[in-house]
Amino acid sequence: MDQQGQNGLLATYREGWRNRGVLGFVISTMLIAFYVVLYWEHKVEARFGVAPLTALSESIGLRNRWYLYGVLYSVAMVGGGIYYLRRHGNSRYNRVRITVNVAIQIALGFTLPFVMPLFGGQEVYFSYFWPLKYDYLYPQTLESLPLYFAVYTVIGSLLAAPVLALVYGKRWYCSWVCGCGGLANTFGDPWRHLTSKSDKSWRFEKVSIGIVFVLALATTALIVVDWKIGAQHPTLHRVVAGNDWRDWSLKSFYGFAVGAVLAGVVGTGLYPLFGPRVWCRNFCPMAAMLGLIQKLGRYRITVKPGMCISCGNCSTYCEMGIDVRSYAQNDESFTRASCVGCGMCAHMCPRGVLKLESTGRRSLAVVDS
Amino acid sequence: MRIVIIGNGVAGMEAAIAVREAEASWQITVISEESDHFFSRTALMWVCCGQMSHRDIEPFERDAYARFGFRRVRARAVGVDTRGHRVLLAGGLSPVPYDRLLIASGSAPRRGPWPGSDAHGVGHFVTMQDLSWYENEIHGGASRGGPPPRATAHLSATTADSPYQFREPGAELHGRVASKPAVIGGGLIGIEAAEVAVAAGLRPAFFIREEWFWPIALEPREAQWIGKRMGEHGVEVHLNHEVESLEVDPIGAVSAVKTNHGPYEADCVVIAIGVVPNTGWLANSDIERDERGGIVVDEALQTSAEDVLAAGDCASVRWFDGSRRPEQLWYTARDQGRIAGRGLLGNRSSYARGTWYNSAKLMDIEYTTAGLVNFDLERETNWFFEETGKVRSTTRVVSQDDRVVGFNMLGRRWDHTVLIKWIEERRSLSWVLPRLHQAAFDTELVPPLQAPGV
Ligand SMILES: Cc1cc2nc3c(=O)[nH]c(=O)nc-3n(C[C@H](O)[C@H](O)[C@H](O)COP(=O)(O)OP(=O)(O)OC[C@H]3O[C@@H](n4cnc5c(N)ncnc54)[C@H](O)[C@@H]3O)c2cc1C
Ligand code: SF4
Repeated sequence: MDQQGQNGLLATYREGWRNRGVLGFVISTMLIAFYVVLYWEHKVEARFGVAPLTALSESIGLRNRWYLYGVLYSVAMVGGGIYYLRRHGNSRYNRVRITVNVAIQIALGFTLPFVMPLFGGQEVYFSYFWPLKYDYLYPQTLESLPLYFAVYTVIGSLLAAPVLALVYGKRWYCSWVCGCGGLANTFGDPWRHLTSKSDKSWRFEKVSIGIVFVLALATTALIVVDWKIGAQHPTLHRVVAGNDWRDWSLKSFYGFAVGAVLAGVVGTGLYPLFGPRVWCRNFCPMAAMLGLIQKLGRYRITVKPGMCISCGNCSTYCEMGIDVRSYAQNDESFTRASCVGCGMCAHMCPRGVLKLESTGRRSLAVVDS
Repeated sequence: MRIVIIGNGVAGMEAAIAVREAEASWQITVISEESDHFFSRTALMWVCCGQMSHRDIEPFERDAYARFGFRRVRARAVGVDTRGHRVLLAGGLSPVPYDRLLIASGSAPRRGPWPGSDAHGVGHFVTMQDLSWYENEIHGGASRGGPPPRATAHLSATTADSPYQFREPGAELHGRVASKPAVIGGGLIGIEAAEVAVAAGLRPAFFIREEWFWPIALEPREAQWIGKRMGEHGVEVHLNHEVESLEVDPIGAVSAVKTNHGPYEADCVVIAIGVVPNTGWLANSDIERDERGGIVVDEALQTSAEDVLAAGDCASVRWFDGSRRPEQLWYTARDQGRIAGRGLLGNRSSYARGTWYNSAKLMDIEYTTAGLVNFDLERETNWFFEETGKVRSTTRVVSQDDRVVGFNMLGRRWDHTVLIKWIEERRSLSWVLPRLHQAAFDTELVPPLQAPGV
C-alpha cells in the first residue's frame, strides 16, 4: 500500500523509554559503556584483567572485537529497520530508502570487509568516504591500499560525493548510503523526536560542526605536508602524526576526539537522550562538507503555500532539529545545510504541505538561511 | 498607544506580531484565558495520542512574549466597555484600558442539546481543557510530554460558563479509563476524536445524523469510500443515527447513547457537532453580533464599535456568495489576523477571500479540495475516478457548462495553487484532465495517477 501520510497515530510520548524515562537513561548508559570498552579495551584489560569484547568475539569465532561490532551494528540496523518499516513503511520513499540503506550496510559495511581478508585481500569499506573516514585520504593510507581502491576513494571523496550532493542534495549519502545515518534512522528511530529544535541548539550546531570540519581539513592537509617533509622535520612529524596517543599529535587527537568520542561514545551513546543524529548534526565533517554543497545545489524542501496549519509534526519528527514549521507556516520553500533528506517531515505532515525535490524545475522561490 | 488583543490563537498572535514589527514602543497586551502560550489548536489530537507534546504544538519558543515585549494577562474577559475603552475581566481584576482593541476569541464547542449532555464522561474536543479531559478519559492522564505550563492559572479569574473550564472525567468515577467511547457528529473534529480513540486501542462508535459522513465536504461515493477505510481502522460508523439522549448511570456518569435506532453502550462521549463563535461573554457589550453570535465586521475587520476590530473564528465576514458567517479555518484566521494587525496600526486594508480551498487528513487518507464542489450547482457535472491497487485514491473534478469549477481529491497530494489557477482561468475539463499531473504533489517515488484521459 502506498499511502503517503503517517499511517495512524504514534504513541511516542506515551512510552517512557522513548522520552528520557529511566529506561532511556539505562539504554544510554549501556551504549556509552559499550563504546568505551570497544575503543579502550586495552585499558580495561590493564585495569581489570579481562578484555570482555575480545573474549566474546573469540568465543563465537570472530577474528576480533571489531567484527563483533560489525555483527551487532548490522543486527541493530536490521532490527531497527523492521521497527521503522512497521511505523512509517506505508510510504514508498521511506520503504525504498531504508531498504537500500540497510542493504548497503550489510553488503559494503559488513559482509565485504568481512570476507575480503578470508581471500587474502585487504578489508576496505566502499560505503565510507573522506572526510568521514578521515584516514582514507592520508597519503600513508593511500599508499597501503590496493590501487583500484585508492583510485575509488579519491574519486569518490573529491568528485563523486560533491557532484551527487549538488544534484540530489546530501541525502544521497547521509540517508541512503552512510552507515552512521543508517543506524540513526533504524536503531535510532524511536528517539528521533528528541533532537532539540531550539535556536540555541542550531547556533551550537553551526559552531561545532564548523570546528570539526576545519579540524578535519587541517589534519588532512598537515598529514600531507608531513608525508612530504616530515622525515626532515622530526618535531613536525611528532606533532602532526605521532602514533602514540600520548604524544597528543594532531592525528591521534583527531582519531581520539572525533573518531572515538564524538562519533561513537557521544554520537551513538546519547541516542536515547538527545536524538539519533547527535553526531551527524553537530560533528560529522562529511555532513558539513556535503551540507555546504547542498546549499549551492538543486535540493530543496518545497512548501505548498497557504496550507500549513502550524501543527508542528514536521519539526517534532525532524531528526536533525530543523524547525521545518517555521518555514512552512511562512510559505517559504527552503534548503538547510543540515537537512539529510530523510523525508520524515513530508511523511508526517497531515496537510501534504511539504515535498522533497531535487528536480531542475524551481516552481517556488527558495529562501536561504 | 495601548493595543489590547483578546485571544492568543493564530489570529490574535499574527496581529500582535504585525503591530510589534511596525511599532517597537507601543504597549501590547494579550489577554488569553485558555493558555499562557500560543499553540496550534489544529494539533490537539496529536497531543492526545502522544504523537506530540504540548511544547511541540507551540509554534514559537516559550520566550516569545518576552522577546516581542507582549504583556500577558491570563484571565477571562467578561465584557468590553466600548465608551470607556476598557476590557472587563473576571475574578475582580481591574479592567484593561485600550486605545485600540482586537477581539480574536475564536470558537467554542456547540453544546449537546440532549438530556445528559452535561454528565461526567461527556465532553468536547476544541479547547486545551477539553484535551485534558479526553486524555484523562482514554489514557488516564497527560502523556510524558506533560501538561502545558501553568495549566490552571486562569481558574482564579474565570466564570462558570467558560469553554476553558476543566470537565470532570467519567474515568475518575469509574475508577478506570474508558473502554467504549462514542463520538457524535460526522465532521472533521469528530473523526479526529475517533482516530485518537483508535490509537488508544479502542473501537469508538461514531454517530452521524446524515446519510453519509461529512456531507458538507464529501459526496456519497467519497464518503462511502472513507467509511470503509474508517471501518478497516476499527471505527464503528453508524450513519442515519439521530441521537435522542445520553443515558446516565446512578453514579452520574454517562452509560449509553440513545438513538433513533436504539441505545448503544458508551462510557465516554465526545460531542463534536460543530463550533459556535466564542462571543457569549460579549452579551452585555454594545458590539454588534449576527444571529449566530459572530461579531459583524466590515472588509477591514472593524466592528460596530469604534477602535474595536475582530478577526478569526469569532468574526462574521462576507463570503464570496454574499452570505455573512465566520470562516472557521486556520489559514483564514491567520490572514485575518494579519489584516487586523494593519488595522490596529491605523492602516485600513481589506480582507478579500479568494477561491475556497482546504486540506485535511482522515485517518491515513489525505484530502485536498479547491473551488465549488458540494454546492449542487445548476448543470453541474462530475468527473469521478476511483484508483485501486497500490495507491488508493479518488479524484473528482466538478464542471459547470464545460468549465471546471472545483476539485475534490482523496488519497493523493495535490498542489491546490495549480488547481485554483485552472479554476480562475476558466479551463475546460478536456483541457484540465491531460494536465492533471502538473498539479500532483505526491511524495517522491509514488507512481503517478493513471486514469482514462489523464
Ligand atoms: C480539533 C480541531 C481541529 C481543527 N483542525 C483544523 C484544520 O485541520 N484546518 C483548519 O483550517 N482549521 C482547523 N481547526 C480550526 C482552527 O483551529 C481555528 O479556525 C483557528 O484556531 C481559529 O483561530 P483563532 O485565533 O480565531 O481562535 P482560537 O485559536 O480559538 O483562539 C481564541 C483565543 O481566545 C481566547 N479567549 C476566548 N475568549 C476569551 C475570553 N472571554 N477572555 C479571554 N480570552 C479569551 C482563548 O484563550 C483562546 O486562546 C480545527 C479546530 C479544532 C478544535
Ligand atoms: S508543514 Fe505540515 S507538519 Fe509542518 S507545521 Fe505545517 S501542516 Fe504541520
